[in-house]
Amino acid sequence: MIDPKRVLRALAEHWTLLEPLCERFDSGTLSLIELRKQLTAQLPESTPVDITALLDQWIRLDILVPVAKSPNRFELNAQIHDFLAYLRREHRLGLCLEIEAYLRHLERLAGYIKDAFEVRDAADLARQLRLLDMRVRDVLKKLANDEQALVAVAERAKTSDRQIPLRQRYAEVLATWDEYVEPMIQLVAADGAFEQGVYRVEHVLLRLLGEQQRLGQLVDDDLLLRTHARILEMQTTAQLTLRRARELLLPLREEARRHNAVTRGAALALAAIRRKGLDAVPQASLPLFSRPQSTFLGTASQVEAYVYALARFEPKPAQFPKASTARKGEAPRAPRTAREMLERCEQALPLPDLMSWLLAQEPEGATDELLYWFSRLSRDARFQRERLERRDYLTAEHQVSLSSFTLLRAAP
Amino acid sequence: MNIDLKELTQLAPIFRELFKGYHVSRRDPELYAQLSNQQDQYRALFKALGYELVCDSRGFYYFVPELMGAQVNKTAQRLALFTFILVEHLADQGRDPLAVLDGGSLGRDELPALLEKYRDLFLQAEVTSVEELEEKVMRRLNQLGFASEENGIYRFLAPMHRFLDVCLSVQQDRDLAATLHSALPLPTPVLLGDELEDDIISLAEDEPDLDEEDALARAMADERAVQEIDA
Repeated sequence: MIDPKRVLRALAEHWTLLEPLCERFDSGTLSLIELRKQLTAQLPESTPVDITALLDQWIRLDILVPVAKSPNRFELNAQIHDFLAYLRREHRLGLCLEIEAYLRHLERLAGYIKDAFEVRDAADLARQLRLLDMRVRDVLKKLANDEQALVAVAERAKTSDRQIPLRQRYAEVLATWDEYVEPMIQLVAADGAFEQGVYRVEHVLLRLLGEQQRLGQLVDDDLLLRTHARILEMQTTAQLTLRRARELLLPLREEARRHNAVTRGAALALAAIRRKGLDAVPQASLPLFSRPQSTFLGTASQVEAYVYALARFEPKPAQFPKASTARKGEAPRAPRTAREMLERCEQALPLPDLMSWLLAQEPEGATDELLYWFSRLSRDARFQRERLERRDYLTAEHQVSLSSFTLLRAAP
Repeated sequence: MNIDLKELTQLAPIFRELFKGYHVSRRDPELYAQLSNQQDQYRALFKALGYELVCDSRGFYYFVPELMGAQVNKTAQRLALFTFILVEHLADQGRDPLAVLDGGSLGRDELPALLEKYRDLFLQAEVTSVEELEEKVMRRLNQLGFASEENGIYRFLAPMHRFLDVCLSVQQDRDLAATLHSALPLPTPVLLGDELEDDIISLAEDEPDLDEEDALARAMADERAVQEIDA
């Protein structure tokens, strides 16, 4: 049996040496050589004999324990490690399953309490109530511990190197979310095991209070009320812990998800562009902006000249033709109707080249009009079309490059 | 709303920059401070003039061009392509694309390797050499306020979020994802030269018996649109 006072004294005395060692032990075991090196670095004036004496003392007090099957490697005694972690507020995140297990146990204890009351066993009832109270304290301790651990997870993610990939940086956040927060959300949900368990225990305690008033006291009412209050505290703490976990981790998780979405989006867009060209990216999503070299109102004098011209603007008098005067020259031709054009085209079948035919028909036609007829006639169901080689056509105003069609009568 | 022009001390430079398509961010502290302090006044004034000032909460301002005149131009496509490439390239290297594109930097000396790796894609955007990459992409990013260059280091600014948003919207575009992942053959790629005919032919295919005048008007409008794109 090791005297607790001696352990505590050693911890207090060697705190400056133990604290940095804790960090090393957090991530694994240390060999005797590593331990000696670490301590020599911290105590530069000590001799190897001093270091050996120090290590001996720690081993004797069970602060350091040899790793199973590797006698030259050491780790901190798990109990001491937990105690030091509590003092350093360095907590390891527990499992959601642990909380669930505690809850099940609380429910079982509530069952025993009910049984003890039914057989009027006052001693057993008091014992079970005390056990229940202690278990609730365990859950509270665990929730507080988990909250500290969650803060540490978020801090590590936020302060780690910005240059390492987000996937690595937030790996812990994502894992914590999946393994702790998500199950906790389900556990603490209204129909989850936590709320249900708390409800059942609470129900037993309240019923007990009522029955005690009716049948006479077996235990002090205060004990029941205290336990009940602690159960409610546990319920609130669980909800607060969960809320805090969401507040801490959700933004980081979203950032990681956004990062994934951006990378995936870019890869998708590149794949689409590779297959279908630059226009494959939906145009609606592209940012619009004015062109950098757009014409800009120039110097002040230019503006002045423009305003001056505007101020002196005089409209040209409109000349309307008189009804009486006879029209000179040819009367303007009425625009062609689709029916008319379709009929003419039909009569001229087969057409070796639709565009050439159109140009021959309408040598003075405007380009847009010709192109309209070209599209209208080439897609009409009455005709069967075959694409020709691309070539240039000269309209009255433009040179148009397109692949024309040969038109044949469509098979009936 | 009463607008006091005396308070808008940076009106001229702000308007000049925004009108050019520039994105004002914290890189221009004076303009940015003025815009954020007098945001409502500026927005109202520009609105009255027919310009929509967008105040992005991520820290930048720009004009939305009128929809009629706003063709998605080659520059926008090129810059978007560059963003996609850069995101993928950085992710491939195990670097954090968001950290680089959201306030981070890229060395000019990284451009040749980037061009080499994505030569086929850059070719589609008519970028074939490092000089062209600097001229057509990096200088444009600089001119439009997306990035700044100093001593051979390009620093990306808050407006880059507009392109990151494109990545996000592409990711959410299920149609695009579906076409990419489907086993069916993709529709035949539309060749650039075919645009003219195909556009016109596809015009009224769903309404074969269009009213003639209507059809003509639409055909002409589309023809004009095609010309504008070509221009």
